[in-house]
Amino acid sequence: MTRPISLALVALLAPVVAALILAPIPALRKRGWPAAALCILGSVLSFGAAVALLVDTLKDSTPQTLAVPWVRSAGKVIAEAGVHVDGVAASMLVVVTLVALCVQVFSLGYMHDEPPPAFGRYFTYHALFLFSMNVLVVAPNLLQLFIGWELVGVTSYLLIGFYFRKPSAAHAAVKAFWVTKFADMGFLFGLLALFAASGSFGWDARLAPGAATAVTLLFFLAVVGKSAQFPLHVWLPDAMEGPTPVSALLHAATMVAAGVYLVVRANPLFAQSETTRSLMLGLGAGTALFAALLALVQTDIKKVLAYSTCSQLGYMVAALGAGSVLGGFFHLTTHAFFKALLFLAAGSAIHAVHSNEIGAMGGLAKKMPLTAGAFIIGALSLAGIPGFSGFFSKDLVLEAVEGKLGGVPWVLLLATAFLTAFYMGRVVFVAFFGEPSGEQAKHAHEPGWSMRAPLVVLAVLSLGLGYFAAPFARLHGEAYHFELGAGPIIGATLGIGGFVAAYAVFGRGKREAPPAVITWVDSIARTRAVNRLYDFGYRRVTMVLANALAWIDRYVVDGAINMLAYTTLEAGQEARPMQTGFAADYVMAVLAGVVCLAAWVVAR
Amino acid sequence: MTLSTCLLLATALFSVGIYGLLTRRQVMAVLLCVELMANAANICFVAFSRFRGGVTGQVFASFSIAITVAEVAVGLAIVILLYRTRGDTRLDLASEMKE
Repeated sequence: MTRPISLALVALLAPVVAALILAPIPALRKRGWPAAALCILGSVLSFGAAVALLVDTLKDSTPQTLAVPWVRSAGKVIAEAGVHVDGVAASMLVVVTLVALCVQVFSLGYMHDEPPPAFGRYFTYHALFLFSMNVLVVAPNLLQLFIGWELVGVTSYLLIGFYFRKPSAAHAAVKAFWVTKFADMGFLFGLLALFAASGSFGWDARLAPGAATAVTLLFFLAVVGKSAQFPLHVWLPDAMEGPTPVSALLHAATMVAAGVYLVVRANPLFAQSETTRSLMLGLGAGTALFAALLALVQTDIKKVLAYSTCSQLGYMVAALGAGSVLGGFFHLTTHAFFKALLFLAAGSAIHAVHSNEIGAMGGLAKKMPLTAGAFIIGALSLAGIPGFSGFFSKDLVLEAVEGKLGGVPWVLLLATAFLTAFYMGRVVFVAFFGEPSGEQAKHAHEPGWSMRAPLVVLAVLSLGLGYFAAPFARLHGEAYHFELGAGPIIGATLGIGGFVAAYAVFGRGKREAPPAVITWVDSIARTRAVNRLYDFGYRRVTMVLANALAWIDRYVVDGAINMLAYTTLEAGQEARPMQTGFAADYVMAVLAGVVCLAAWVVAR
Repeated sequence: MTLSTCLLLATALFSVGIYGLLTRRQVMAVLLCVELMANAANICFVAFSRFRGGVTGQVFASFSIAITVAEVAVGLAIVILLYRTRGDTRLDLASEMKE
């Protein structure tokens, strides 16, 4: 076993060992603190191994695989399980384990008020999630990736529904599970189609053009669900019912990025279908703008960030659709850090004012300078202000998309860039500047070290990661150097312009009379058209169809069986009088039988 | 006397037996009719033995007579039991064989 393989195994197994110790031992789990310590220890080990692995991979990026036979059929191995290490997997592992570690440390403070059993349960779920995500990241084939994908879905369900006594949280968990599960059918059928076409679950098969399109379209359905693209984005805003650190880890940085990661991994397949790629480009750009518009009118700080995540995932999907794996993946990486930072900073603010509404905050910058600073760094990075990491990755995306599909996606993404800066500016100015809007906001104060330290780490990464684009590109076997051209200047102008516009509208404590365009978008958002479409589909199509089938089952299938039983019973009842009890009648019957037999013998 | 005469006699005897079996109401008469039918069969046995040669038929006839005796013994026992329990031996009043 080589060094990278051992490191990958450590990164993979450390969290699951923690989970396997905690899950069956209630005495340990229900005490709370031991669970947190064990879970964080697992994450530290995992993170350390991932960093060592990344350093190794930077020196020598030859892919390495350790795979053991897993599924056998007729003596032939049809699927393997194991670890596959290359530049993509190593960098993703570092992103996942680092964000997970930050979030878990943050949770020590954020979840402090939970009773010990809930506290322990929370960290057990976290350990399980990290393992699931790592299974997905180091998968040597798409089948194992699918297993990780589903495990991540389950842990996401558990964590969204963490406050399961709250009906809205339970409802959100079920909704997230159903929507992603519907999309996951695409993954499953895609795998079957891939196996039928190529005889393996590998991602480097050469397929016939038709088969390639079918397989990648099916995979793309799964991506649309997991990465919350229109029209399956409806679960993500609801998923904000989970604890805020969970939103930071699962619904901003890692799990929702799994869809993008799938496309990055299966890129050799996606590269074979122009149809799928064009669809991805169009849908990604459309989602980016659509979600940015919705983010504009949310008053719940987490919902703003949730729609913003949809929007940024749209960027990544569009980049991958344009064929730029580096663009999509680099944006995934920077986004993971700055969006986790934004969520954690938002969590810190929520923790201080006990409300998600930005209207209930206000003036927090004076009370909580570190939190405000972290949030502003995240916001500037998300808005693509030059120098911050988001600027470099967004620029890569815009450059990849430029000129594709008649330039429409490019224009959409540029509009999104402006809107992104505008809605982040809105949150920053309303929540962190101006006057405190309530008692809670007046007495807000900075949280403890466990919540501050992760903010600092993530803020540093959000600031600095953009300058490491070149080594990052090398991991993918591509070259990167930044050029100051028209693209970056347009992007930067739009980003800064968005902030300036937001300051003009919301700055200096102005709260009343938002511009007409916002009220207009708000009125449309309030119709909840997409959700109502699903409601309609569920009530008017699925339920009607199900009722029709139930009717057929109850009255046609069951009816035939019951009819048979009834007929037999009735025939028996009708035949009863034949038994008279008189010996002469029986003799007559015997005689009739004999005569019939004789007649038959003679006639033959 | 030929084979057919004998067979005709046997048929006649059998038919009389059947008729009695179906129409008589007294158990004793019914038993007698059963005897008639059995003996019709015996006549067939001996007739074939006599006209076709071989002793198989005669042996079977002896067998048959022995079995008939046993049957009558059982039958009479049933009749006596019937009389004891009901005080009457008319068949059309006994319908316990229903169901």
